[in-house]
Amino acid sequence: MDNIGIFLQIMFWGLYAGCIYILLATGLNLIFGVMKIVNFAHGEFLMIGAYITATVFLLTGINPYVILLLSMLVLIGIGAVVERLCFRPILGTGKLNEIFLSIGLIYIFQNGAAMIWGDAWQSVKSPYDGITIPVGSLNVPIDYIIIIGFTAAILIALFLFLKKTRIGMEMRATSQNRKGAKLVGINVERIDVISFGIGCALAAAAGTLWVVSGQVFNPYMGSIPAVKAFAIIILGGLGSIPGAIIGGLLLGIAENSAAFYLGGVWKDAVSFIILIIVLVVRPTGLFGEKGE
Amino acid sequence: MKYQVLFIAVLLVMAALIAGCTQQAASQQTTPASQGIIKVGVIVSQTGPASNVGNNMWQSAQVAADKINADGGVTLKDGSKAQIKLIVGDDESTQAGGQKAAIKLITDDKVDILVGGYSSAVTSAYQQTIAEYKVPYIVTGASSPIITHRTDIDTSYIFHHCPTTDTYGQYTTTFIDQIIRPAIAKKYGFAADRPLRLALLYQDTAFGKGVQTAVNNTITNNKLNIQLVSQQSFKMGESDFRTPLTAIKAANPDAVYIAAFPNEGAPIITQARRDIGLNTIFLNVENNDNSQFYKDLGQYGEGAIIESRFSPYTAPVGAVADAQNAFKQAYFIRFNTYPDMMGASTYEGVFIAAKAIGNAGTTDKATVRLALVNLKMPHVIEAMKDQTISFSPDFRESTFDLWMEQLSFNQTLGETRPTIVWPDNLKTTDFTLPSWYTAGSA
Repeated sequence: MDNIGIFLQIMFWGLYAGCIYILLATGLNLIFGVMKIVNFAHGEFLMIGAYITATVFLLTGINPYVILLLSMLVLIGIGAVVERLCFRPILGTGKLNEIFLSIGLIYIFQNGAAMIWGDAWQSVKSPYDGITIPVGSLNVPIDYIIIIGFTAAILIALFLFLKKTRIGMEMRATSQNRKGAKLVGINVERIDVISFGIGCALAAAAGTLWVVSGQVFNPYMGSIPAVKAFAIIILGGLGSIPGAIIGGLLLGIAENSAAFYLGGVWKDAVSFIILIIVLVVRPTGLFGEKGE
Repeated sequence: MKYQVLFIAVLLVMAALIAGCTQQAASQQTTPASQGIIKVGVIVSQTGPASNVGNNMWQSAQVAADKINADGGVTLKDGSKAQIKLIVGDDESTQAGGQKAAIKLITDDKVDILVGGYSSAVTSAYQQTIAEYKVPYIVTGASSPIITHRTDIDTSYIFHHCPTTDTYGQYTTTFIDQIIRPAIAKKYGFAADRPLRLALLYQDTAFGKGVQTAVNNTITNNKLNIQLVSQQSFKMGESDFRTPLTAIKAANPDAVYIAAFPNEGAPIITQARRDIGLNTIFLNVENNDNSQFYKDLGQYGEGAIIESRFSPYTAPVGAVADAQNAFKQAYFIRFNTYPDMMGASTYEGVFIAAKAIGNAGTTDKATVRLALVNLKMPHVIEAMKDQTISFSPDFRESTFDLWMEQLSFNQTLGETRPTIVWPDNLKTTDFTLPSWYTAGSA
């Protein structure tokens, strides 16, 4: 493999990793943008999405890319329940309550998953396992092309939903000015539930794509991706969906480049080095606005 | 004012409690076995990245305790019999969790002896506690030599019942030189003096770095004809290895030696062969001899090598085969799966604990430590040097007979299964290069 081939390969792995980060961070940013809450348990929704996909796939043999839709629907429901029972009662009572509540949720979801599915590492094999297609000088497993395609499709669908539908416009309005949205008759509590549900569904999509890419998963898998998702939304700008997309891509590519050129131990550190640099130069993040 | 008084009172009560705990810790050193119970604390990773192996260790300890108790228990100095009671401590696969587990087992549960420890990084984090409370500890998993070689704290109560990274790193590197290098040279018609191109992919912990050091030292000290063409590291618990594997592929290796846990080792090989197209021989450390590892590998494990001393799916011909099979059966009946290599060590660890307390005739910790120093007991299920379990006088390490397994894919099972290929006195078949194998090039 020549140097350009290696470089392209590293970029491709960064793009793949970025897809998972983008979906997770976009969901987190959607929830933060509308509700202004900090949910450290967001990675656990990725984990639940992964388990739902793996379980349904192993039980039925249905194509896991089809199960992605089911997983997202289930997580919309779980997200709505969590928002209604946990976050709504403490909304506006202070960030500390949100932080401790979400930390509590991490333990509840992790232990609940361990009780249901056990805590051993698991993995499943995609039905397209072993199939590769040539992309330029690379020979790429087809699953990664599908993953990138699904991520793009989900983001386009989200964009159209936010721009073209009434609920999407109400979500944007609530995100821009909660009191103003209330004054013009928007039911912001209903918007909160929908936003939280969609945010969780995006995490479920990330979990499903994690599983089909053949990566191992267990009940504790969500913690590190959640931390990185927070880094991405701060990097991209709090509440900014384009910021989450650019931030996710940047992080995926930076991590893989650092692992190649500096060594694997720098993989996680580099994302936070970039975060610090961006915050020093532009405290609102790449796409953030003052006041966020 | 009233609240200030209350606050001070609470502080005083807490201070008194802490002082009480400290005194209790000091006084319990001479507590004899009571009510015919020997409390054995088992420190394992029940949760976190190492939980698969950790639960196997805990379950194996339970099978051992059941057998000892069913056979009448442990005979003490006064002729009375004592039953083994296991108490588990979950180190949560973290250093902080390990510290909590050790403190709880020693001070709350007041165990007589400790067994277990998997991650070297986690185990080394609570060694100070072991030194402080002077509780005999039979380490059955953490393989870094620092566990008993370190000089910054007192390790005299720690006994190492597993080969160190020095031992199996050297063993595996010797296998590469003596078996793999000639096989590649023969298949490809390479010159006899062509060095084997070896890549290392290791966990960035005491365990992984220990293997890295052992491989480098073995090559240098023994002047082996092996060239290290790439040395890549990764964080413990990592699941995406595509980038370091791309770097390794770019170095064109003849073989890749992986120092990883099973939850890392299986994805490494899968991603290497499926995503990167790295069709080479992967050598794995013994902790990967685990049924989940075989399951996760699937067909990608074909041709891979594991250095081992106990396998869920094979046993060496000889004295320990029956004992190993009996243990596997007992474990399977209770847990509907097979024990792994770390489970086997922990199973033996409980037997060693029982034997040492039996020899000491008491649970007095200093006396039990002396019994461990002087221990000479017949091997239990693992093949030991001279068929005897004993600890070396310098670093209190036991010595094993190791072997190398090669995996072949079983279409019916959808998993690979191992056969022993080295050394000659234990092997059941010869090492072979798979048909898809591709040698590296300079």
